[in-house]
Amino acid sequence: MAALLEVQNLSVHFGGLAAVDDVSFAVEEGERLVLIGPNGAGKTTLFNLLTGQLKPSGGKVLFKGRDITHKPVYARTQLGMARSFQITSLFPNESVLTNALIGLQGVRAGRYRVWGAFTGDKALRQEAQKLLETIDLWDKRDETVASLAYGEQRKIEMGLSLASGPDLLMLDEPSCGLTPTESADITERIRALGRKITVLMIAHDMDLVFGVAERIILLHFGAVSAEGTPDEIRANQTVKDIYMGSHKASTAGQ
Amino acid sequence: MATRPADVLFGRLARRSASVSPAAAGKGGAAAMLKAWLPAIVILVLMLLLPTFVPSYIQSLVTKMMIFALFGVSMNILWGFEGIPTFGHAAYFGFGGYACGILIVHGGISNFWLNLLLVIVFTALLGAGLGIPAFRVYGVGASDNPIYFLLVTLAFGELLVRVAIAARSLTGGSTGLAGIPYPDLGLPITINSFSFYFLVLLIVVVCLFLVYRLVNSHYGYALRGIHDNERRMQALGYNTWLYKYTSYIIAGAFGGIAGALFAYFGGVMVPGNMGMAMTDIVFLIVIMGSAAWYFGPVIGAVVVVGVEYLSSVYVPDRWPLIMGTIIVVVIMVIPQGIGVMLLGLWRRLVRGRSA
Repeated sequence: MAALLEVQNLSVHFGGLAAVDDVSFAVEEGERLVLIGPNGAGKTTLFNLLTGQLKPSGGKVLFKGRDITHKPVYARTQLGMARSFQITSLFPNESVLTNALIGLQGVRAGRYRVWGAFTGDKALRQEAQKLLETIDLWDKRDETVASLAYGEQRKIEMGLSLASGPDLLMLDEPSCGLTPTESADITERIRALGRKITVLMIAHDMDLVFGVAERIILLHFGAVSAEGTPDEIRANQTVKDIYMGSHKASTAGQ
Repeated sequence: MATRPADVLFGRLARRSASVSPAAAGKGGAAAMLKAWLPAIVILVLMLLLPTFVPSYIQSLVTKMMIFALFGVSMNILWGFEGIPTFGHAAYFGFGGYACGILIVHGGISNFWLNLLLVIVFTALLGAGLGIPAFRVYGVGASDNPIYFLLVTLAFGELLVRVAIAARSLTGGSTGLAGIPYPDLGLPITINSFSFYFLVLLIVVVCLFLVYRLVNSHYGYALRGIHDNERRMQALGYNTWLYKYTSYIIAGAFGGIAGALFAYFGGVMVPGNMGMAMTDIVFLIVIMGSAAWYFGPVIGAVVVVGVEYLSSVYVPDRWPLIMGTIIVVVIMVIPQGIGVMLLGLWRRLVRGRSA
């Protein structure tokens, strides 16, 4: 299988701090790769570099074989990349349906149309119905997003990241703040995604990590400190040290 | 959630839909459409009949209200729908007015339609020029801290005021550009203060319709998305800079049309029409009427221009004091604006009758 996403020696420095330090890895097509690591390890910063919200200090990002290191965020989405946010990031003043419609419109040709009613766009509405039915929120389509329960908002968060029909789905802690039941539900949904969608995920919740991952990368102090299959990671001494919080681990990266 | 003054200033309010039941819109077909649009149609008919009932000074007052309604609505594209407050919107209003006046007085172009077209082109060009530096300091999702953008747009307006004062041969300097006649339509109709009312009504209604279609289009919903969450919009594939930039130009062009009508209306343009004094008024119009409802600025224009007229009759020279007081009271007491308050009353009335 060809690499869908290739990260080469990627770094970003904030002042003297190397938040992401010479990171290289590749995501194969159809793979489920999970990034783990303690707080402040640079996981979300790495995501922001991959999606273009941050500019790297050095290194390269290749997507589908093209160098996208300096492409803006929206252009990467047009190429087939999509992300969800750790902090729920929706359109709180709009209805659930409008959220879905806006989400779907982003990569479609009509997005600059200045004539014709947006909410009356039948083709788009049908797509929105499909999307909302997959996240079980079609019945709540007319409710304002701000009035929904947190768990439902997290579902929309995931729904919006799928709306552009991505080849690479990047999930930033999809179960963040959810109850164990809701978290298990999200895990099930990610497992149910077709193999056409490659998943790169950040997660803390170990049930979610081991429920989804085929390969795991451990980030520590901005660098890749371990990589392997779930079983290898489970047995890895560094991982144990970091997650048990031993003294050795906290000085290991320095 | 309680509304805070900062939410009002930065346009962070939940928008209201004009139809009585947003969920039902699109289902009921023609009858529901008619019901939703009935108030607008009634008001339009009343507006057409109004000049036969009221004295000419009231007619002229209503003409001014319509011009400022268009001005407020044009600003609200940016502020209410996209969440971008600007202190420089009067620059487009004044620039449009000056462009119109200079074309007539110095350019010898008397045809109204040609003049209007040129005003739209010139204000759009001005917006295209100023939009690039303005949005460089705006950044992404800056509705939480748009202070640099506010300062830059404020500077644009004041800059134009200085230019207008300095370029005396063209603009008449600080005394203003006088002698702008009523428009020449190029038709066998002469425009006087009576028929000018209907011309303004026509232009304003057409413009309001165009802007209404714009903010409800695919493009318009992208603006709303930027209002709520620009980062997400980018992640969804929208080139948000392009939306912000083009909407700035569009809002400027509609502001310029309002300015041109204002130039014809008063017959004179003064430099202050491009600066902070005029921006204050349009800010007041949008805040009073509500940035969260499409027709809010229309209500705001009626109230502000009405109160300004009353104060000029009864307590001349006290208008700034009154305006300041109103702005504080409205933000503290009805932060959602008079427009949304009236809309709420109207809905209760309609529901009460049909239920």
